[in-house]
Amino acid sequence: MEEGAVTVVEEGGIVHKNPIVIEGLPDVGLVGTIAASYVIEKMGYTKIGYVESDLFPPVMVIHEGKLGSPFSIYGNGNVVVVLSEIAIPPNAVYPLTRALADWFNSINAKLVISVTGLPVQNRIDIEKPEVFAVGNSDAAMKKLKVMHVELLEEGFIAGAYAIMLNECKKRDLNAISLLAQCFPVYPDPGAAASAIEALDKFIPLDIDVSKLMEREEEIKLKARDLMRETALSAPEMQKGVEQDMPIMYR
Amino acid sequence: MKEEKRIREAAWGQNGNLEPLFELEDTGDAFLVTFDLPRVKKENVEINVTEDTVEIIAKMSEAVCWERWGSIQKRMTFQSFRKQIRLPEPINPKDASASFKHGILRLVMPKIRKKVFIPIE
Repeated sequence: MEEGAVTVVEEGGIVHKNPIVIEGLPDVGLVGTIAASYVIEKMGYTKIGYVESDLFPPVMVIHEGKLGSPFSIYGNGNVVVVLSEIAIPPNAVYPLTRALADWFNSINAKLVISVTGLPVQNRIDIEKPEVFAVGNSDAAMKKLKVMHVELLEEGFIAGAYAIMLNECKKRDLNAISLLAQCFPVYPDPGAAASAIEALDKFIPLDIDVSKLMEREEEIKLKARDLMRETALSAPEMQKGVEQDMPIMYR
Repeated sequence: MKEEKRIREAAWGQNGNLEPLFELEDTGDAFLVTFDLPRVKKENVEINVTEDTVEIIAKMSEAVCWERWGSIQKRMTFQSFRKQIRLPEPINPKDASASFKHGILRLVMPKIRKKVFIPIE
């Protein structure tokens, strides 16, 4: 593998049928990671590949005694789920999003959905987090309006999902980001539950999120270390800029 | 103990304590500290505040047991969260207040302000 490269490795020879991609990378509140893990578990998706790069930390994961990549891809032909169990190093964001967007293009993905969080100061007082969205094209925006998802109208977005939207745009791939109101530095299964309900508007998953909420405390405990690692890289990811007002504000 | 601003390393001790995720925010007149304490009930949280430190000890309603955790340490059990934070500026412990909601402990600790009036000549 070329130094600094990111490679998507497919396993099992699955046939893709214009899949919808769900991306769950670690970010604020670990919303995407928690949501993607729960979707994979509930839908019974199988592992169809992984992502490797020497830009990632030298870490492998062991599940039930089996060695695997912490950056895995699951799916069933119609849906692809990208899930990372490690924090993405800031210097890997651009090569990673380029490699993933190339791969989504090669499998003729019809829509790429990044699931992530929108940090809010008063999260503790919010019973049911709202979900907002960003689209990367007129077609994607139209889809969001049809599905009655509230759009983020002004502001900065930062992190892997922001760059992913743009890399998909460059390849004429429709992409959206679903952002659930969340705690910035605490794992937020409640926000993940809201995000899964919003996902259901685009993919008929019909997942009961009440089970996710029943396991809220267990998930928070398991996700502590990933949350800590992700929060440490947040300043370098320019996450603070999401609270700023753009100068071109209208 | 070093001064801490956000989340740092260290996650567990050998004494059955987990280090909670926490966030420290300077709001100008006060410090706002929150701790994420899953599996903890309000009545099992102990808070000790001095002029420059805050310590919390929170007992979980159910212990956390991690198995198959590394090749040597096969089983670890944690029963409580424990964390001490050194504050960047002195606070008035008597005016500190705490609330607990959805497993999040929130402490507001007003800073000690020594105001000096300066007349304009």
